This record gives sequence, C-alpha cells and structure tokens, in this order.
Amino acid sequence: MSPGRAVRDRITVAIAVLAAWQLGTLVFGAHWVSPPLATGQRLLQLLANGELRRHTEFTLAAAVGGFLVGGVPGALIPFALRRASRLAAILDPYFVAGYGMPKLALAPLFILWFGIGLASKVALVGSIVFFLILFATAAGVRGADRRLVAMARVAGASEQMVARHVVWPGAVPYIFAGLKISLSYAIGAAVVGEMISSNRGLGYLIQAASQDFDTTTVFAGLVALTVLIVVVNELVQTAERWLLRWRPVDAQPEGRLVTVA
Amino acid sequence: MSGAAPLLEVRGLGKRFEARAGRAEAFWAIRDLSFSVADREFLTIVGPSGSGKSTLLNLIAQIDSTTEGEVRFRDQLIASPTAGTLRPGWDRQFGYVTQDDTLLPWRTLLENVLFPLRVQNRLSTDMRERAAGLLHAVGLEGFERHYPHELSGGMRKRAALIRTLVYDPPVILMDEPFGALDAQTRTQLQEDLLRLWNLGRKTIVFVTHDIAEAIALGDRTLVFTRAPAHVHSEHAIPLARPRDVASIYTVDGFADLHAAIRKELA
Repeated sequence: MSPGRAVRDRITVAIAVLAAWQLGTLVFGAHWVSPPLATGQRLLQLLANGELRRHTEFTLAAAVGGFLVGGVPGALIPFALRRASRLAAILDPYFVAGYGMPKLALAPLFILWFGIGLASKVALVGSIVFFLILFATAAGVRGADRRLVAMARVAGASEQMVARHVVWPGAVPYIFAGLKISLSYAIGAAVVGEMISSNRGLGYLIQAASQDFDTTTVFAGLVALTVLIVVVNELVQTAERWLLRWRPVDAQPEGRLVTVA
Repeated sequence: MSGAAPLLEVRGLGKRFEARAGRAEAFWAIRDLSFSVADREFLTIVGPSGSGKSTLLNLIAQIDSTTEGEVRFRDQLIASPTAGTLRPGWDRQFGYVTQDDTLLPWRTLLENVLFPLRVQNRLSTDMRERAAGLLHAVGLEGFERHYPHELSGGMRKRAALIRTLVYDPPVILMDEPFGALDAQTRTQLQEDLLRLWNLGRKTIVFVTHDIAEAIALGDRTLVFTRAPAHVHSEHAIPLARPRDVASIYTVDGFADLHAAIRKELA
C-alpha cells in the first residue's frame, strides 16, 4: 500500500470513529457520552487555561520518573548478574515473585509512605517498569550470541568490553521490546495512582470530573491521555530505529502492533 | 620440521562432553590426541565431520576446558585439566577464524576489522593503515562502511580473516573457514590466504573436511579418525610454493596424496 493511500484510508477510519462516537451520543444522550465536538471544545478550553498542560506534565513526570527509577536498575542488574550465575540463581525466584505481584495493590502503601504527591506515583510506576525491563533485559543478556562472545574473548576483550560491545548491542532489541510494553503500563500506573489520591495529573482530572458528572471533561482527559501515549510511543520508536539502524531493512522494528501482510 | 622445538604441542589430549538432558550419554570427542606444530608451519587437519576437529581448536583457543592431557605453547603449559581458569586466545597468541564469520552485526565492516585492536587498546594510525592495507589486499576497499548483512558470504569470510590477521597473533586457528562458499569464491579465498600467509608467515592450524583443500594449503596434513579423534596418519606435502590453488589438481604428486588420504578416511 502506498503511504499516501494509507494516510487517506486512516483519515477515513478516523471519520468513521468520530461518526460512531457521535452516534453513541445520539443513542445514550450527551450526558453519558459527551459528543466529539464538545469534547474538542473542552480540550481547547483546558489547553487555553493551562489546566491540560499542568495535569499532563504531572502524569508525564510520574511516568518518566518511574521509568528512570525502575528502568535503569532493571536494565543494569542483568548485566551485573551476567558473570555471577550463583547469585542470579539465588535471586531468580524473588524476581519472579516480584514480577508476579500485582503492583497496583501497592498503591495505597506507596501513598502512605511517600504521600499524595509525585513521589508515590513515581514509586508505583517504577515498581512496575523495573520488573518488565529486568526480565526483558535478562532475556537479551541470556540470548547473547555465544560465538560472538567467544570471538571477542579470543581477540583479547575484557569482560567489560564483552558486555559493552557484544552483549549490550545484542540486548538492545529485547530492552526496547520491554520498553514498549512498559510504556502503557507506566502511564496507566501513573493515572491509577492519581485517581487513588492526588490533586494533580490526568488521572486526577478524569476522576474529579467524573465525580462532578462532567462527562465532557472525562472524555477530554481520555483523549489527552491517548494522545500522550501515542506521542511517547512514537518517540521510543524513533530512538529504537536509530539504535537498531544496523539491522537489515526487512528486520527493522515494526511500528504497528497489528500488521497484515 | 623435525629438529627444532615445536611451537605448539598437543600431548595425550582428551575431551569428554558430559551427558545432558536431551543427549543420552557422555561421549569423548577427542582422546589420546598427540601432535606438534613447528613455528611458521601451515598444518592442515582432515577428518570426517563430527570427528572433534572443532573441539580441538576450541581447546587450543581456550574457549573450552580440557578433560585429559595437555597443550603446550613455546614449552609452556597452557591447557590441561588442572590448568585453572581459561584464558581465551592465551593473551592474543592465538587468533581463531571460525566456521561462521562471527562478525558483529551492529558494526560496519571497518569497525569489525578494527574490533580486536579496539578491545586491545591498540588503535593507532599505523594500525589503521595496516587494516586498510589488508582490506585492499582482499579486495574489500569501498565496503568499509557496510554492515555485515549487506555483504556477500565471501566478503564476510574475508573480513573475518583479516580481522584476525590485523592484530598479528603468532598462531592462527582456522576451522573450515571457507566451508559454506561456492567453489569459485572458495578458491579465491584460498589463494588470498596463501598470499597473505606468504607475506608474513604465521603458524596456521587449519581444519577442513576437504582433502584437496588440506593438500593445497598445507605443509603437512594430519588425518583424524572418527570421534573420539586421534591422529590416524600424517602426510608431508612436498608440493612447491607458491602454489596455484586453482590448478593444484594438475601438480605432480597431488593425485597420489589425494588418493592415499581418501582411502584412509573411507
């Protein structure tokens, strides 16, 4: 399919979605399903008075902060454990248990510990991202090509150099797979944290509006959230394409979740 | 070849692979294997596939541990069951060109060739010039910025070969490096190898299952038995150098040697 054609067809789909949305409004009433036009107007309003920016910044800060707090150690620990197989074997069941634990259940605890501000959301996001990135990176480190590792050692590479020049580049695709999965979880966790207890953030905006029966703001918040996720996803994909530019074109990371050949 | 102390000596070497899930029994890949290699000798080893030839090179290169016997280099014990931690490449004394080209897919051709120098912290202008010279010698100039997947199989093999030559290890182990190539590319690469070897004679241990290749390249060839591998016989190859690989079949003495080795392998 040509790119121009794809864009045209996507616009057609967008119009269809808006039409279905409008139909929902007509069937269920504007009180329950805020019409697209009113939602758009509310978005512009929130944009103009700075509210949208204030809430989005908070949510984004929680997500990014959590990503750093959880993702960086998650990506580093498998490298540290690479040459310590005994320690890795000891820790493994604990990592599995931590991974399996539903982190959203920790939200009340984090709010008790860190208050209703940003810190508790960062902790919640971090606890989720940590395990996702940890397991993705561990798979990448485990999957390091043994032949390449042996070649590098024979050529005189130290363990750090093997890690840096052979294991790390090989693990990058895995880490990105983990990153992309973590992304929606991270923003989701930030929003849930805000819904439970906060005075800022898109989650708070949506929660507060729903308590006022202000469906239009709820819809505006959801649209903003979706846009945020799409934009962040696009940034991650750009970074991935750049880091994996050495790959053959037909093995380039696919930007879409569902692709029909 | 006799007389001078050997550069590399393999004595009573054995390697046993333990039983693992999915592979019923432990087995000996190599047993009672002894031979020696003189300085600057081009030794070729032929044997049936699965006869432990790659295992032997892995033991010498110290990628894998020894079960029995020993390997000595310059009269120093480098591998034995009790030798302790493996030291792959024995401090850059052994270069290893494997069956697969093992180029780093995320590095360009030039970066791959320079890789050993980079990790050895020896990247200098001189060394870069040396690399450029080698790239030229095997006809790879102009492809420096290509990634491995953009190169043909023959080009990748050449790159792997000069990546080892570039840091000048005294001994080069080669494990069927030209195995997966078409006949013409293969002959070309064999000629490249002989030419480069002639420029700065290294000690080469070259494993193959192709009898003609073993004769065309080597000063001497060892015939291995099936696993557990040991030396079945040894043949000096008195063919004059420089050799023309493409027409080696027509040289006096080739046919007899080929027939003799062939019979031993049957």
